[in-house]
Amino acid sequence: MQSSLPKALGNDLRRVVGDDWVLTEPDRLLAYESDGLTAYRMLPGAVVLPKDTDEVSRVLRLLSEAGVTVVPRGAGTGLSGGALAGADSVMIGTARMKRIIKVDPVNRLALVQPGVVNADLSAAAAPFDLYYAPDPSSQSACTLGGNVAENSGGPHCLKYGVTSRYVTGLTVVTYDGDVLRLGGFGRELGSYDLVGVFVGSEGCFGIATEIEIRLLPRPEAVRTILGIFDRIEDAGRAVTAIMAAGLLPAALEIIDGPTIRAVEASVFAGGYPTDAEAALVVEFDGLETGLTTDVERAIVKCREEGARDIRAAKTPEERLALWQGRKKAFGAMGRIASDLLVQDATVPRSRLPEVLGRISDIGRRYDLTIANVFHAGDGNLHPNILFDRGDADQMERVERASKEIMTTCVEAGGTITGEHGVGIDKRDYMTLVYGDDELEAMRGVKSVFDPMGGMNPGKVLPDPPSS
Amino acid sequence: MNAILARLSGQLQDGQLLDGFQAERWAICERVPKAVVFPENEDQVAELLSIANEEGWHCVPCGRGTWLRGGSEPRGVDLVLALSRMNTLLAHEPDDLYFEAEAGLGLDSLHGRVSEHGQWLPIDPPGDARGSVGAMVSLGCAGPLRAGFGTPRDHVLGATIVTGDGRLLRLGGKVVKNVAGFDLLKLMAGSWGTLGVITKVTARLHPLPEVDRTLLFKCRDATECTALASLIICAPVLLAAVEVLIPGDREEGQSDSTPLVAVRVLESAAAVSQAENVVTEQAGTPPFRCLEGEESRAIFANVQRMEEGAELVLRLSLLPSRLPELAMMAQELVDLCDPDVGGGARLAGHAPSGILRVIISRLDRREGGLDRALAVLERLRLSLEAESGSLVISEGPQDVVGPLGAWGDVGSAAALMAGLQREFDPGAILSQGRLGP
Repeated sequence: MQSSLPKALGNDLRRVVGDDWVLTEPDRLLAYESDGLTAYRMLPGAVVLPKDTDEVSRVLRLLSEAGVTVVPRGAGTGLSGGALAGADSVMIGTARMKRIIKVDPVNRLALVQPGVVNADLSAAAAPFDLYYAPDPSSQSACTLGGNVAENSGGPHCLKYGVTSRYVTGLTVVTYDGDVLRLGGFGRELGSYDLVGVFVGSEGCFGIATEIEIRLLPRPEAVRTILGIFDRIEDAGRAVTAIMAAGLLPAALEIIDGPTIRAVEASVFAGGYPTDAEAALVVEFDGLETGLTTDVERAIVKCREEGARDIRAAKTPEERLALWQGRKKAFGAMGRIASDLLVQDATVPRSRLPEVLGRISDIGRRYDLTIANVFHAGDGNLHPNILFDRGDADQMERVERASKEIMTTCVEAGGTITGEHGVGIDKRDYMTLVYGDDELEAMRGVKSVFDPMGGMNPGKVLPDPPSS
Repeated sequence: MNAILARLSGQLQDGQLLDGFQAERWAICERVPKAVVFPENEDQVAELLSIANEEGWHCVPCGRGTWLRGGSEPRGVDLVLALSRMNTLLAHEPDDLYFEAEAGLGLDSLHGRVSEHGQWLPIDPPGDARGSVGAMVSLGCAGPLRAGFGTPRDHVLGATIVTGDGRLLRLGGKVVKNVAGFDLLKLMAGSWGTLGVITKVTARLHPLPEVDRTLLFKCRDATECTALASLIICAPVLLAAVEVLIPGDREEGQSDSTPLVAVRVLESAAAVSQAENVVTEQAGTPPFRCLEGEESRAIFANVQRMEEGAELVLRLSLLPSRLPELAMMAQELVDLCDPDVGGGARLAGHAPSGILRVIISRLDRREGGLDRALAVLERLRLSLEAESGSLVISEGPQDVVGPLGAWGDVGSAAALMAGLQREFDPGAILSQGRLGP
C-alpha cells in the first residue's frame, strides 16, 4: 500500500525535520503498525520524528492546516492500542527527543524530553542518590512521554503513587501548533491543574515535549519476602490483612499457579514451587532499622492467612530471584500460548479473593486459560487470557470472557483499567463505568485542548450516541 | 423579601434560606450575599443551579464557611450555596483505606471517625480543622504535610460534581489506580468552585503513624532558619514536613519568639531514631527539643491556625533551594506592618515545596501606606513571576486583593481555563472571577 501523505505536505514536513525523519516507505512503517497490544495492527500514513518542541510545533501546524490527524507515540510499549494510526493519520514519534535536559539534585527535579526511557532517568539521577519512582514493567523500554500519556503505574506505585504524582510541569504542543507551558514546581498558579488533567490523556490533548519530574531519595534499604500459598484467595486475604495492619509495603504482587508453572517451565525459572496456587511478593523499603519489624509483621499476616512457606531474600541476587516470577511472567507466557490478552481492571483490595474466584469461574466457563499476575496491593488485576488468534471460536470466547471480567470488576466497585489506559481496546467498555453525562463532559474537555479533534482520533471515548 | 427568597421559598424548607444580616457571616471576600441556601442533597444542588441559570444569579458554593476570604473577589455574589448540612460520612472502609463523604463533612468529624480505626487523612490546611472535605478539595488547600503526602489532588479517588448548568457528574471511583478516561478529578481539585459544586468526595486514607515526632531546631534569625531548612530538605529520607517558623519582631519575649525549623517525622517505632539521626546529621546540629505524640501534633495544629485574625496572608514561592532568597524578599513585606497594632509579620514556610507564607497582622495604612503596599506587592509579584515563582494573596482586605487580584499571571493556562469554564458552567454563574488572572 502506498502512503496516503500528499507529496507537497511530505516535502514541507521534510523541510522541518530533515529528509531522514519523515518515513513513508511501507517497510519502514511496519515497525509502527502496532503497540504492545498486537491484536490491533494498522499502518500509519507516515511517521515523523521531530527533535524538539519547535519542530513538533511546526510539524503540528503543517498537519493541522492540512487537516491530517495525528497520533503521538513513544516506545510503543502501550497495552491498549493507544498508539495506533491509520493510513489517513500521521504518527509523531518521540524517538529523537531523548535528552535529559537537567537533573537538579537540590530541588529533586529533572527536566526531560518525552523520548527519554523511564529507567534511563533513574540511572541519570543515581549519582545523586535519587530516582524516579513509577516503574512500569516495561521501564527499560518505555518512555516518559508515554508514561505521561498513560499515567503509568508499576509495582512500586502502591507506596509511591503513579505518574501524575511526579509530573510537576509540562511543555505541551497542541494540534494547532501552539506551545503551552503548564505548571512548574516552585510556583502556585491561580489556574486549574492542567498538568494533572493532561497526564493520562492518552495523546488526545496534545504532545508533551518537555516534562518536569520530581525525583525521590533512594531508599536506604529494601527487604523482600515471598509467601507461598495453596489457594489464591488466601494470598488475596493476606494482602488485605497486611494493608489493614497499617503496614505500607513498597510492593505487594501476586503471581498465580498457572503463571508460576509457565515461568518455571521457561528459561526464567526462579525456583518457585510448581504445585503452589499463588506466590505473594512483599517488599518493604525505607530506613534499615524499620524493615525488620515490618517484614516480621507481614510474615505473621501471611502465615495467619495460610501461607505454607515464606522465603526471605538475604542478598540482592536472592531478591532478584524472588522477583523473577513476577517480572518474567509475560515473557514466559509467550512461550505457552501464541497470543495473550492482558486485562487491567482494578477492584477495592478487600474484594480480591472473591473477584479472583469469579475470574477463574469465567475461565472455566469459556474453556480458556487465564493466568493472573498483578499489583495486588492496589487491587490492580492483570488477568492474562491465553489464546490462539487462528482459532475463530476461541477468539469469540476470549472477547466475551474479557467483557465479563471487566463487568465483574466494575460490579465489585472497581474500574476497567488501572494503568494501561483505554486506547482503542477498552473504549467500548467506558460505558460500564461512566454515563452519557460524564462521557460528554470528557468530550467537552478534549474539545478545549483540541477543538479541531485532530489529536489521536478514535481513542479513549466511545463514539457519542447517534442523535 | 428579596427576589431570590421569593423565587426559592416554595422549593425549600424553613431554615434552609438566610438573608439580610444573617447572611453577613457568609460574605465572600467581604461581599455579603443576597441569600444563603443550605441544600440537603445533590438533587437539590442541581435544582438550585438550574434555577440560578434561568435567573442569571451569581452563585458561590462553600462548605462550612471556613475559607470564605480567599481568592479573588467574585464578579457577583447573589446566592451562596453552603453545603454544611450535607455532612454525612457515607462509608469508611478501613480494609480498603478509603472513605466516602458528603462534601460538607468537617475534617474534624472525619478525623474523629477514621482515627478510631487507626487511620487519617494526612492533609493539614490552614484553619482550625472545622473546614469541610469538599471545600478543602475545591480550594486544593494543604499545609506542611504536603511535603510528605501531597495535596488534595493526590488523595481524591472520586467525586460527584454538579456543573454550573445542573448536570450531575460522577467522576473517578474508589480504587487507587484508575485511568479510565480523562482525569477530570484533577481539574476539580483546586478549581475554587468555578467548574461545579462538589457534593461528594471519596478519598484515600493512610494508616496513622506509630510515632509522630517533631524535631525543633533553634535559629538566630530568618537567614539562619531558611539556610538550615534548605539543608534539611536534602536529607536522604522522606520527611512528613519541614516548616520554618519565624515569629514577628514584636513577638520577642513571648514563648514562641525564637525562629525555628520544625521537622516532622512520621515513622514506625523501630525506624524513628534512625530517621532522627539522618536529619540531625544533615542539619549538622542536634535539635534543641523533640516533641512526641500529642505535643508534636499540637505544634503543627498551631501552625495550621497561625493565619487566624491576620489581615493579610501572602504565599510566596520559588524553587525550594531559593527559600533563603524568598525570606530576604519577604523582609520588604514585613515593613508593611502597622508598627503599633498586632504582632507584626510572621513568616512560615513549607520548605520542601518552596512556599513561604507571610502573615501580616495589620497593614500600616498611615501616610500612603496602602499605596506603598500595593506597589511593593505588585513589584514583588512581577519579580517572582519572572523567576518562575509566584505571589498569591491567600487572604486580604479588598482594597488590596481588588486592585492586585489574588493570583497574578497564569501564563498560557488562561485560554484553556476560559474554555473549560464554558464547558462546565455555560451560564457563567459559578464563582466567576474567584480563580484566574
